[in-house]
Amino acid sequence: MEMRKPKDIILITYLAFIVAASQFLYVQNIFMAFYIFLACCLLLGTLILINNPRPQISPALKHSAIILLQAFPFMIVMFIFFPRLEAPKWMFLNDPHAAKIGLSNTLEPGSISRLGRSDELVFRTRFSGALPPPEERYWRGPVFSYTDGKRWSQTKAKKNHLKKTDPEFSGTAYHYTLLQEPQKQNWIFALDIPAKFPGDTVRNKNYQLLASNNPQNRAEYQITSFTTYSTGLITKKEINVNLQLPGQPSKKLTNLVNNLQGPSQTPEQLIKNILNFFSNSDFYYTLRPPLMPDKPIEAFLFEHRRGFCSHYATAFVYLMRVAKIPARVVTGYQGEKFNELGDFLEIRQANAHAWAEVWLEKQGWIRIDPTAAVAPERIEQDVNIDLQIANGEVNFLRNQKQSILGKWFKHAGLMWDSVDYSWQRWIINYTSENQQSLLNILDIQHFKKLAYVLLGIFSIFTSILIFIMFYKKNISDDLVLSMYHQFCSKIATKGVIIATGEGAKDFAHRCNEKFPHLANQIDAITNLYLQIRYGKLNSADKVVKLKSLISSFKA
Amino acid sequence: MLSAIEKLLDTANQIILGKNRQLRLALCCLFAKGHLLIEDVPGVGKTTLAHTLAKLLGLEYQRIQFTSDILPADIIGSSIFNAENHQFVFHPGPIFKQMILADEINRATPKAQSALLEAMEERQISVEGNTYTLPEPFFVIATQNPSHQLGTYPLPESQLDRFLMRIELGYPDYKAERELLTGIKRYLLIEKLETQLSPPQLEVIQQKITEIYASDALLDYLQALIDFTRSSEDFPIGLSPRASLALLTAAKAWAFTEQRDSVIPEDIQAVFPAVAGHRLQPGQSDSQAIVAPILHQVKIP
Repeated sequence: MEMRKPKDIILITYLAFIVAASQFLYVQNIFMAFYIFLACCLLLGTLILINNPRPQISPALKHSAIILLQAFPFMIVMFIFFPRLEAPKWMFLNDPHAAKIGLSNTLEPGSISRLGRSDELVFRTRFSGALPPPEERYWRGPVFSYTDGKRWSQTKAKKNHLKKTDPEFSGTAYHYTLLQEPQKQNWIFALDIPAKFPGDTVRNKNYQLLASNNPQNRAEYQITSFTTYSTGLITKKEINVNLQLPGQPSKKLTNLVNNLQGPSQTPEQLIKNILNFFSNSDFYYTLRPPLMPDKPIEAFLFEHRRGFCSHYATAFVYLMRVAKIPARVVTGYQGEKFNELGDFLEIRQANAHAWAEVWLEKQGWIRIDPTAAVAPERIEQDVNIDLQIANGEVNFLRNQKQSILGKWFKHAGLMWDSVDYSWQRWIINYTSENQQSLLNILDIQHFKKLAYVLLGIFSIFTSILIFIMFYKKNISDDLVLSMYHQFCSKIATKGVIIATGEGAKDFAHRCNEKFPHLANQIDAITNLYLQIRYGKLNSADKVVKLKSLISSFKA
Repeated sequence: MLSAIEKLLDTANQIILGKNRQLRLALCCLFAKGHLLIEDVPGVGKTTLAHTLAKLLGLEYQRIQFTSDILPADIIGSSIFNAENHQFVFHPGPIFKQMILADEINRATPKAQSALLEAMEERQISVEGNTYTLPEPFFVIATQNPSHQLGTYPLPESQLDRFLMRIELGYPDYKAERELLTGIKRYLLIEKLETQLSPPQLEVIQQKITEIYASDALLDYLQALIDFTRSSEDFPIGLSPRASLALLTAAKAWAFTEQRDSVIPEDIQAVFPAVAGHRLQPGQSDSQAIVAPILHQVKIP
């Protein structure tokens, strides 16, 4: 080590402070904040030890912790009025969110033999009013219309192709705040369908909400959605897009559709029949489906009959298209965890879902979830992610009796999620925009006012501190001493304050010069105090007398 | 008795003009059975002060002028052969007097210095196997020039510690100096002085001072001051236990002259510069400046 002189240690300590601060470029969670606090405590302790001729470790650490805690109010003020710099992306050297797995641009259920599900957080929402019923909580993501038989993808968005008809909304309006975690795409998973959304976001023709800014930032959006809607007419081109099939459907499929359609011929009846077909035949919901590399739709419908939401959604859409009914696959999230403590919903990667949309002439696009026909629990209940991860099997939470420990554990988990939500929302997400809105709430528009407010806060804080210090000083086990301090504080109101190391007699002398009319009283109190405190023979009535003298004393 | 003390101080003030505080400190030093060191440039009245005090207290007074060639025997005395009865007879030196003025002590060699300082500490002298007790009361006022002057041997710290107090006289103020110039010569005034306090009375006072009460609260303050000097980086060494004892005794004497039967923090503060100054910063003569930061930083508990 190159540490030979005290100067070197000091230099190293300062460097360590910089290193500690730079950790926030990598990780910005509570644990890191706590860890850096401890590290700073240790470093400050080192500085104290270096500068102390008689170093002792535990008092030094205590001292440094006190210093840091004293800096806290200052930190809060600085934090509120001088928000985090918008650091350029390259500064965040190892952003773990940069390469995240989420919903992707394509859907190819046949090529997946095992669906890995993570409990990584995607977004959180907090409703300002009522929550929509669980079966309506579909969070809309990308929409897939084009298929080559195996792979499903979004149609290339041609600008002129857009015919924007605002859907007609009815029923309850749901207002909520959505805190989107960093992701690769600029998708915002709004509640199906968003009606009002912030100006910097766009709702595309598929009613998917897109953010215009960098999706790698955590962002918060205020959205209003309706779960009851009517989308109206669509263009011929759009109908064609949503009827697209890779070549002629096979005979087997046409036969199946014909069988299911029966005599009624109405699309509604066909939908009902297909869903019945899914639920009555031996279809199973599993996260470990067999591989279906060739003709996945046929293989799924006739051969394996095992799959997860994407299999059912794509198969359903395919069958609808065979029956010449416009249909498409919608992906997004469904189901969530409700955090009772923080009163918000948490949507995780494991909640990813795929469902179908069918266009009917009278109603417009309507949502059909074929998975619900096979595994209604998937829709109605929460999925036990931990068990899934452990077994690779699906496990739906039942309302079974939980042990006390389990309950407690769940409670702790909820609490932690709630704290983390607040941390992300209020600390990490606090930018200059948030500051602006906060300042607007406080009615501060310009710098001068800000300076006044800062000054005000500072003076309030200082006066509290002074009060505490005086209060502390007054608490002493010696009754006489506290009485004398009372006397001193009475005089202090007149502007004469006893100095450190100033004796009572000298103080009295000084007071008498300033207030000659009080000289007798001051002398009487001082002499009695000196007698009691330093004299040899003392009696209780002297203390009583001192008390009455001091209480009758008026500065 | 107390009025006698006040009268004594009044009289002394007429001889040594404008040095009330120093005179009171010197008297306290005497009452506390301690020895006094006066440090100042020549000619500011060190000798006059010693002489005045001796006269007012009715003590046998002896001045010993220290020079670079003075020998221990010149101070304590020596044995001389008596031809008549063929015996060596001890002839006591000038130190066998109640009040000694050791003038310019730092001009003597360390050997001579230590002879005096040993006598001060032991209050007795051993010569050739015989022990001779020094008279009671025994009080040494030593004067010294600031040690940076030429031809001086500064007293080591351990010997400075033997003096209860060190005071500086300083120049007289304008008014006092004018009075000095127009008035009668000081030595003539001293000649005429009458004893204000007899040696038996002095003994009573010295006894009474030991009975002055020091409360726990006061001792807390005293120890806080001592601890401060020990932990502060401004001083090479903190105050010794001997110094803390000296501080208490001196404060008691001061409280006595202030007509109190118990010590209060102000008493400690009054004697603190004189008691602590030379022990904390031997090389610096302004005691007040040395201890002022201590008094201003240590809280009175």
